[in-house]
Parts: sequence; structure tokens; C-alpha cells
Amino acid sequence: MTGGAVTGGDLARRQEELVLALVAGAATPPGFDAAAVAATQTALLRKRADDVARSWPRLAESAGPGRWPRMFSAWAAGRAPQGSLRDGWDYARANPPRDPAAARELALRDLLWAYDGTTAPRPRRGPAARLHAAELLLRWRGRALTYRLR
Amino acid sequence: MTPLAGRGVGIGWRPELSGFVAELPGLRFVEVIAESLPHSGEPPEALARLLAAGVAVVPHGVKLSLGGAEPVDPHRVEHLAQAARAVNAPLVSEHIAYVRAGGVEAGHLLPLPRSREAVDAVVANVVRATAELDVPLALEPIAALFEWPDDELTEAEFLTEILERTDAALLLDIANVYANARNRGEDPMDLLDRLPLERMAYVHVAGGRIHEGRYHDTHTDPVPGEVLELLGELCARQRPPAVLLERDGHYPPAAALRAELDALSAATGYPVITAAAGR
Repeated sequence: MTGGAVTGGDLARRQEELVLALVAGAATPPGFDAAAVAATQTALLRKRADDVARSWPRLAESAGPGRWPRMFSAWAAGRAPQGSLRDGWDYARANPPRDPAAARELALRDLLWAYDGTTAPRPRRGPAARLHAAELLLRWRGRALTYRLR
Repeated sequence: MTPLAGRGVGIGWRPELSGFVAELPGLRFVEVIAESLPHSGEPPEALARLLAAGVAVVPHGVKLSLGGAEPVDPHRVEHLAQAARAVNAPLVSEHIAYVRAGGVEAGHLLPLPRSREAVDAVVANVVRATAELDVPLALEPIAALFEWPDDELTEAEFLTEILERTDAALLLDIANVYANARNRGEDPMDLLDRLPLERMAYVHVAGGRIHEGRYHDTHTDPVPGEVLELLGELCARQRPPAVLLERDGHYPPAAALRAELDALSAATGYPVITAAAGR
């Protein structure tokens, strides 16, 4: 199957313009109700924040009770979604968590996955050991084993 | 044409609801987000137990982008077909919407212009998808906070033409009907009177909330009384073969969810699933 539009008109271009306006900070195409589009942008950010909170529960909790949707949305507005794993990772790199549980969540992700910040994270291969906050994190056969020291 | 006939009231299965769902004595069907099922092989253990108990499982896709002008991704179609086989599904469902364009993901369902070109795009993608599926496909109209500026067709014309040309079943989300009508200042009965209700495979019911004057179909709030009333109106016109409660987050105590399931039973006349039958 080849790519490209399935239909002869300009639907593909118009759909792309609208997505870019909704999630990537581009101008709203002419003719749309600006207030309704803005409400949709906010709703999309909120759903995205909920999705990221499912992938990164400790990171979301570290924002404080009820504060994650607003904090994540403020950071994510105008940035195209990259999926909740990468969105949360990018957020955590831009806002390094000081909360111990959130920092541990990030350390465990880093133990198992290699993420260059621009392409999909890839599983790291081979065994490895790291020290994180008085805890030994081991990667063994693609899984994390953790040992609290003392 | 009605693979869920007799299945009554169901609920959208989510990992967080797994324990709650396992303890519903009268449950005959659930939905599972198709993209959450593993690419090949076994469904999650909790779902496998439901299947073994005779509960029908319907994979519900959310990322196929059937309304995209671009051809539907064959890998996503293959995954949906595989998911249907893995749970021995009686049918699968997806949305009349698009979720990405030009490689940019929206993260959620976006509305289509109600144009002939958009009808053609949906029909072409449904044909591509159903060629790989072993089971019927039901299509769900979405809720949206905005409309495209230059619609050529009414919503009823748009949906009816898609359903007729694809021979797909209708998954009617009664909360979406309520949301769209309320936000557009229309009467929801007008749409119910013009849709091909005989094509309904099942119905979705979900909660929402009003935020800054607009009704948001959140799936994370209680089901409003107005939505239950509309479900009753729908049943007065044509009772759907089955009805399903969707809850996607901010999960309430079990008693509140059971009350919502019982309210679905009351509105449709289908048996209560939260208590054992008979006695």
C-alpha cells in the first residue's frame, strides 16, 4: 500500500493544519470558532496529562494533590504529543524531580530503557548495576531488581 | 447483525476496574481498549477468566484514525484483527474520527468535516479495515466541542451515508448525542429521530461535566440524569441490543459504580447485573 491521500480534495492538508493548531501551537485555521478550539486544546492537554500520569504515577503525584494536570499542561502546551512514555520522560528531564519516589521512577526507567530525547525509547541490553539514593538497581534479563542498602 | 443480543448491561473493562468487574454476578459482556491488548498471544489473566465464564469481550479501538485522509495503518488494523481473535470477539468497534495527520498525534479523537470527501475517506478506510477483520465492525460517532466551518451534510446524513456505504453497525454513544446537542443548542431527539437506529449493535453511556459553559464528555465524572433520560428516550424509540458503561478514571467507590450500572438496567429494562439472578 502506498502512502498519500486517499481522496482527491484537500482533506489531508486541512486535517494536518487543524491537528497542528490543536496540539503544536500553530494558528487556528480560518473559519473555526476560536473559543471552541481553545476549549478543545485544554481538554486534549488534560487527557494527555491523565495518560502521562498512568505511565508516570510517581512523577504525577510529586506535583502535589490535584496539581499535575495544570503543571503538565503548562509545560506541554504547544508541544506535539509523543506518547505518554516520552511525554513524561521529556517533562521529567525538563523538570528534574526532587521527590524521592519520582526520582526513583525516573532512575528505573533509565535503567531499562535508552532514550535519546528524540526517538522512541529502546530497551537496554545486557546486565547493569547502578546506585540510586542508597539503593542498588540491577538490570538482569531485561528486568529491574532492587536492593536497599542497609 | 446483532452479535450482542441478549448481553444486556456491560462495562468497559479497565485494569483499575478489574476487581470490581470480576465481582459482577450478572455480567455478560465487556469492552476492552483494543490497543491495550498485547500484540500477540494471551489476553490479561483477568480478561481470560471473564472469557472462561462466558462473558463476551469486545475490542474497542481508539487509535485507528478511520476518518483520516491518509490510509489507515495496516499494522494497526492487523493488531485489531489479532485482538479480536485473541478474545474470540463477536465484533469490534472504532470511531468516526481522526487522531493523527501528517505524522502528528492529536492524542484523542477529533471530529471530521461533514463533507462528501470525509465520507469517502471514512468509507475507504473502513473497507481497508474490514478486509482484514473476521468479525463485524461497529462505528461510533464522537463528541466534539467544535465543528468544521463548512459542513455539507447534517450529522444524521453524514452518519447514515457512512453506515450504509460500509454496511457497518452503529455504536451509538448516548452521552455523545447529549453532549453535542447541548453544546450546539440543538434538541438531541432530532438526531435520534433521523439516525438508522435499527443498525445499533450497542450503546455507550458515560459521564461528563460542565466546564466554562461547555459540556465535556470526560468519562471521569458521574453519568448525568439528563443522559439517563435520553437513554430512556432512545429505548422508547428502539431498544439497543446491549448497553455499556464507560468509566476511564477518577474511579468512584464500588457502590457508586454499581448504582450507575443499575441505572442503566432501569433505563433499558435489561436485568440488573450487580446482583445474582433469580431467588
